[in-house]
Amino acid sequence: MIFENILHRPIRTLVSVLAVAIEVGMVMLVVGMTHGMLHETAKRVQGVGADIMVQPPGASMFFGLTQAPMPVQIGDRLAQIPHVLAVTPVLFLFNAHGGINLIYGVDMPSFKNVSGGFIYLKGGPFQHPHDILVDDWYARANNVKVGSTLNFLNNNFRVAGIVEHGMGARLFIPLSTAQDLTGARDKASIFYVKCTDPGYTPAVINAMKELLPKYQLRSIKEYMSLMTSNELPALNAFITAMITVAVGIGFLVIFLSMYTTITERTREIGILKSLGAGKRYIINVILREACLLSVLGIITGYVGTWLVRKVIVATFPTLTVELTMHWAVWAGLLAVGGSLLGAFYPAIRAARLDPVDSLAYE
Amino acid sequence: MGSIFLETTEDPTRGADRIGGMEPIIATDNLTKTYRVGKVDVPALRGVDLIVQEGEFLAVVGPSGCGKSTLLHVLGGLTRPTGGQVLVDGNDFTRMNDRERTKFRRHKIGFVFQRYNLLPTLTARHNIEIAQHIQGDGFNPHRFESVAEMLGIKDKLDRKPYALSGGEQQRVAIARAVICEPKLLLADEPTGNLDTENSQVVLNMLRILNRDFRQTILMITHNPEAASVADRIIRMRDGRIVSD
Repeated sequence: MIFENILHRPIRTLVSVLAVAIEVGMVMLVVGMTHGMLHETAKRVQGVGADIMVQPPGASMFFGLTQAPMPVQIGDRLAQIPHVLAVTPVLFLFNAHGGINLIYGVDMPSFKNVSGGFIYLKGGPFQHPHDILVDDWYARANNVKVGSTLNFLNNNFRVAGIVEHGMGARLFIPLSTAQDLTGARDKASIFYVKCTDPGYTPAVINAMKELLPKYQLRSIKEYMSLMTSNELPALNAFITAMITVAVGIGFLVIFLSMYTTITERTREIGILKSLGAGKRYIINVILREACLLSVLGIITGYVGTWLVRKVIVATFPTLTVELTMHWAVWAGLLAVGGSLLGAFYPAIRAARLDPVDSLAYE
Repeated sequence: MGSIFLETTEDPTRGADRIGGMEPIIATDNLTKTYRVGKVDVPALRGVDLIVQEGEFLAVVGPSGCGKSTLLHVLGGLTRPTGGQVLVDGNDFTRMNDRERTKFRRHKIGFVFQRYNLLPTLTARHNIEIAQHIQGDGFNPHRFESVAEMLGIKDKLDRKPYALSGGEQQRVAIARAVICEPKLLLADEPTGNLDTENSQVVLNMLRILNRDFRQTILMITHNPEAASVADRIIRMRDGRIVSD
């Protein structure tokens, strides 16, 4: 009877299934994009190849939120700590014109000592102060070629090279140029420190604490573990709000769908009651129908989310959408829960219908 | 009449099976039913005294609004009586709550309606099977086959109601009503929507059920010809039985 009922009104079924699919898709995509961006950013920082990152007091672990410069001379003192192999200063520039970009101002020789150097896919290193390196994802997303001109911070930059992604940022300019543009001469936002062996990381951090007691000293391992939505103010609230909206959509559509179903099938409910169907049987029929709709919606939602992810990644190569089984299961459970909740009142209402009135319903 | 009502069991859902082998299937005593319409009380049954023995085929006739359908609804446990007493198969409906009456209806009563009342999304087969499903005793293929055979609907079972004629729909409705072997079959104007030929077929079916299977039938009808098929005819007027 459940299958026959949902096939009886195909448009209503389709709308209900799509609503649940949108609910599932919203949950998976919102979470997938936020987590994907965070994890991708963290992986890029890891890709610099350092073991420790040093930031000034009060600096945020989300680099775009603060420049918080500190003297580059600190780098010389850090380099003298035992088991430190290399230290490189980086100055962050946050560009919000024509898109949001974090630009690394890098000192090429020391950056190479820490990271092993850029892998050039096209072009080569900086030749002039206003040269810029872009990574391959940025180049593909923005159709940038070697020799192209990019405008950041009201300055034109010539693209000197396209490098492989995964080296901290997507855009790199010379450190001295970055310092000039921000008026932060001889300053850096962060120091990346590479140890002679990763095993020395705790010892090096302890030594650094004595040297820079109030500075933020983190191992890259710790940084990776902290790069979650819990650490970014309001991000969790945003995710929760979006999930609530998504579940609300599913709940309301299923509620409306089942409510109109009950009204339309009042006579049929009367027939079932005349056959001896009790309240539990009627509620069961309605809830099972809602469950079937939500299962169809969940499957459609999974397929739709996968397709939308493909489109997003193809259209915006710099975006990362991380679809996980964990959140797929959560999205499914939320959809089923929302649907059952939405169908519950109509089911109770159906169960309470008077059989004589129901049989007389036109 | 009095002795019947005195000998009901404590548990209203478990009536005395027989009283000296002579317990009637239906016994009402001063049965009343009043509907509340807005702020006005509308009496539909004003003291019905009725005894129906097991295996009887009873027709209830009377003008519109005389209380025939209300009597059928009360006897079928679809609505609770306002006053008096009503025993169906020894079970006192006045002492049973909605859940108990539903359970009783599931196992003991079959309905046939004027408008067939088949579930439109289901095939004839599923319309019949659902009665067994609701009863919860499982699907009985042998019973199903014999009922479908007797009612001549074997070749119509995979059709949905809209693909069946009125007569065929009513035969499916009868099959659904008797598939669980109810003690009492209540028919509300079963030929009211049918032409003469189909009416005759349906009445014959009811007659066969009564004669060959001792199915107790209480049929409401306007049609004197239909009523004449029954063993006994009672007439109602203004919520009372005026002749028996």
